[in-house]
Parts: sequence; structure tokens; C-alpha cells
Amino acid sequence: MFSKVLIANRGEIALRIIRACREMGIESVVVYSEADRNAHYLKLADYSVCIGPPPPLQSYLDISRIVSAAEITDVDAIHPGYGFLAENPHFAEVCESCNIRFIGPSPESSRLLGDKVQARELARKLKIPTLPGSEAAARDEKEALEAARRVGYPVMIKAAGGGGGRGMRLAHNDVSLVNNFLAAQAEAGATFRNNALYIEKYIEKARHVEIQILADGYGNVVHLGERDCTVQRRFQKLIEESPSPVVTPSLRKEMGNAAVALARAARYTNAGTCEFLVDDRGKFYFIEMNARLQVEHPVTEMVTGVDLVREQIRIAAGERLSFGQRDVVWNGAALECRINAEDPRNGFKPSPGRIALWIPPGGPGVRLDTHVYSGYTIPPYYDSLIGKLIVHRKSREEALAVMKRALAEFVVEGVPTTIPLHQVVLDHTQFIRGQVDTTFIESYFGK
Amino acid sequence: MDWDEVTRILRLMEENRLVEFEYEDGGRRIRLRRAETHVPIPHAPAAPGPQAAPQSPATPGAGPAGGELVRFRSPLVGTFYRAARPDAEPFVNVGDEVTPDKVLCIIEAMKVMNEVKAEMTGVVREILAKNSQAVEYGEPLFVIEKK
Repeated sequence: MFSKVLIANRGEIALRIIRACREMGIESVVVYSEADRNAHYLKLADYSVCIGPPPPLQSYLDISRIVSAAEITDVDAIHPGYGFLAENPHFAEVCESCNIRFIGPSPESSRLLGDKVQARELARKLKIPTLPGSEAAARDEKEALEAARRVGYPVMIKAAGGGGGRGMRLAHNDVSLVNNFLAAQAEAGATFRNNALYIEKYIEKARHVEIQILADGYGNVVHLGERDCTVQRRFQKLIEESPSPVVTPSLRKEMGNAAVALARAARYTNAGTCEFLVDDRGKFYFIEMNARLQVEHPVTEMVTGVDLVREQIRIAAGERLSFGQRDVVWNGAALECRINAEDPRNGFKPSPGRIALWIPPGGPGVRLDTHVYSGYTIPPYYDSLIGKLIVHRKSREEALAVMKRALAEFVVEGVPTTIPLHQVVLDHTQFIRGQVDTTFIESYFGK
Repeated sequence: MDWDEVTRILRLMEENRLVEFEYEDGGRRIRLRRAETHVPIPHAPAAPGPQAAPQSPATPGAGPAGGELVRFRSPLVGTFYRAARPDAEPFVNVGDEVTPDKVLCIIEAMKVMNEVKAEMTGVVREILAKNSQAVEYGEPLFVIEKK
């Protein structure tokens, strides 16, 4: 097992990993930018190293600074968290070349799955259903038009190097396709350094359901069931739950098997997530695989009792999975509400600033993963997630009641948050009945 | 709290090997932190490291000759070297005059030796980092009296 792990991330996920290290008796080193200098979670790590100024490109995205910090602190491994360098195969390669274990998949698997066009192709080869669309990347608007007309509008224009909801645009006709294609191409080139795009049929009444997998270095792959992330805004998830109100045991098994097959074919190791769309007839389609720990992983942890971060560290250290597929049992229902420093009444504008008062909820069935507190200042440089409120109860009905109670207890003063939006959703009949699709937030609450 | 009190606290901190001191009174808050001679900073349990001289809480301040004392901070995270090779003369010593192009030290980051230049004209008054010490981004390396 590792004796010292560096955490190349910030905020709540850095704290989540510090906690796992502490529990496993592993020393932790957390790197930070000047913007995070006063954050309390730094004190909970065994060591902290300032790596640069606030802009991510000069701190959390700067490979040489992070690896240099890893070298001076003499760590065995680096946990990248999510976002930043988590799905950067080059970072994983640099770590390897410096004899530092990267806690995640190999650069080869990550590179293969990071290219969404290749991932789709792999799924098709394995006879896993994908949405109709481009067979290869669309090189220009002509090829995109061809693909769009073949599958029929509306279509999604997606960046091959994108993922996590970034670099996606919807087109309803030829004109919007061409316009959006050119804009998406420029955006993808700038954001992902890969301007390849592809076309995928857009399903209007769909649910976003993803399967969590774990794979060790000995060919053992298990899935831990699904998370339903249908409640989204602009492809950014707001509420996640497990089990999904629409997934039956047989659908879970089918989707789980598909995710396991894909992970095996990509020689995947560590924790990963296969994302699917499920249409209103219960048919599922593979969209992409995320080669990292997901923000919403606690939902799976609550229903399966598996500590995903701990498993990630164990797998990276060369240990075998301690359980098989038959040992995975799902208990009760879990939900997560993402608490973002955003103003839902003002176009979800990010709201950095000082949290004057923070009174977190508690009581039975409540878990809160957060790095913030009264007096904490949310820096403007990073994403707006300030906490994840997770509940777990025997049934969905009870879980919903606990979540409503917890949201009502939650006091945040000083910055607007998504808490009031969650309260409205939790009171909405369609959500209570489990009858939403991915357009729910936008159609009921406006864009 | 006046200057004498601050000085007294600094002395007490040194005598008792305290690294940090925080005091709050009627909305005014003062936080004193002595430089540590090694990074990363261990948090718990707090191991008393080798002791550094107490530093003035304010930077820049007025030097003895009236020039502005500037704390020169590390632009990189890495390993600090005072000389180009272990057997070579240090780039600078206390009392040396420096010009903007003068190399002060090397910070090794990922096996790359990065020369760090003074970027100002002045005199080296203090060398805060030890040779081959690990340094953080922003860690004070030198005190330079700016001219």
C-alpha cells in the first residue's frame, strides 16, 4: 500500500480524498493555489504545498508544478480527483515516467475513452446500442450535414474531446447545424485542444442514467449499479439518485453488463462510469465513458456501502478487488443535491464571495460533503460547487422526505445558492413521481 | 496592540518554538507566522522543525539604510539551489549587489533547472532558504534592499 499520496485537486473532492487517506493510514499531501491558501481543508492533510497563483493554468492544470510538488514531498501516488487533470492521459504518462502511480486508468485506456468517437466505435463493435450518428468524426460542416440528414433532426453536435456535458450543442435544422458546427469547432479546439466533432441523434424524452464500474489490474470488473442524473441544466447535473425510478432489475443487469464489457475491451482499470441515455420505452444507448471518479459518486457509496475512493487507492496500489459482482447488493435509495454558488433566480450566474453564515443540515440519513463553512470565501477562479448534500434511506419516498427536511434546515447566507431550486424540484409532482426527462429543469424553470 | 507588543510576542514565539500566533480583539485581528525552514508544512502532529529567525510581520518594510526591504518569493515549487553545482560558488551572498539580470538561485522543478533572476536592483540582505531545500510557490527566498 502507498505510504504517501498527493491530491492534485481542490475543494470538496480534495477533502474527500484526504479523508480516505486518513482512514487508510496513508499520509496526504494537498497542493493548492494562492486563492485557496486559507481554506481549512489544507490543515486536514498531513502536508500542503502552494504550487502557483490562482488561475488554473498556472496551478491545478500545470503538470510540471504538480509533479514537482510530488517530487519534493516524495509521494508514491497522485489522486487527480475529478476535473482539472483527471482525464488527461499525458498527466498520467508524466506521473508514470516519474515513478509516481497515477490513481486512475492507464494513459492508453484514458486516451481511447477520452476520444468519444473511438469510444462509440468500441461500443458498436461490442454490440452495445449507441445513438444513430457519425461513424467517424465530421471533418467539416458538409460531413456533419450529411450525418444529420441521415439520422434526422434534432441532433447533438458533440466534441470528440469533450465530455461531462461540455462542448455540446443542439441543432434542429440545417441552418442551426452549420452555424453551431462552426462555433462548436472553434470552441472545441480552444477548450479541448481537439476540434474533432461528431453528430448524434438527439432524444427528446430521455433520462440520463450512468453505471459505476470498478476494475482491478487482474481482470476483475464489477458494476455497482446506476445513478440517475436526469435533472440537469445545460447538461450540468443538479440532482442524482440511485436506484433510478425507471431502471428495472433486468435493465440494470443489461446496462451493467454493457458497462463491464466496455471496460474490459478498453483494458480499463480503477473507477469509471459509463453514461447512457434511456428513452421513454426503456431502451438504452451508450453515450460516453468517464475515466475518473465522478462528482456524484457518494450516491453509489450510500446504496452499495462501497467506499469508491478507498477502492480506487487500493486498485492503484496493485490490490485485487475484495468482492465480486455477486457480493454487490443495493440497499435503499440515495439522492444527491449539488449545492452550487449560483443564483437560480438570476440565470444561474456564479456567485463567488464570502459565506457569512453556513448552518449545515444533519440528522439521520444525511451526509454532507463540503469544504466550506461560515466565513469561507468562494474564489472566483474555479467551479461553483460548494457542497453535495446526500441522503440515504430505506425507500425513495423516505429519502425524498429527508432531503426536503435537510434542504429546509440548510442555512447559507452571503451568497445565493441552488438550495431554493432544489426545494422547488423536490416539491414538484413530476419529480416526486420519477417522471422527468433531461429537459425538465429548462422547461419548468426557464433557461 | 502596538509595535513593542508585537516584538514581545515574536520573542515569546521563538522561545517557545511557536510557529503561528493569532489574536483577535474587538474586530482587529493579528496573525503572526514565523518562517519554517522546510516545506511542505506538516500540520499534525506539529513537529517542531529547525528554527528560523523571526521575521518582521510586514513586508516590504524600511531597511536600516532607508531602502525598501523586499521579500523575494519563489516563482516555482521545487528544490532551491544557491549555486549552479554543489562545488560552485553561490550565485549570491549576503551583502552582494544585484541587478535585474543577476541570477539569484536555481529552482529545480521536474529535473529542469530554472534560473531565477533578481528582476530588480538592490543588495541581498538576507538569505531565507537553505541550499537544496524544498520550496513552495510564493515562499520567501531572499530579503533584498531595493535601490
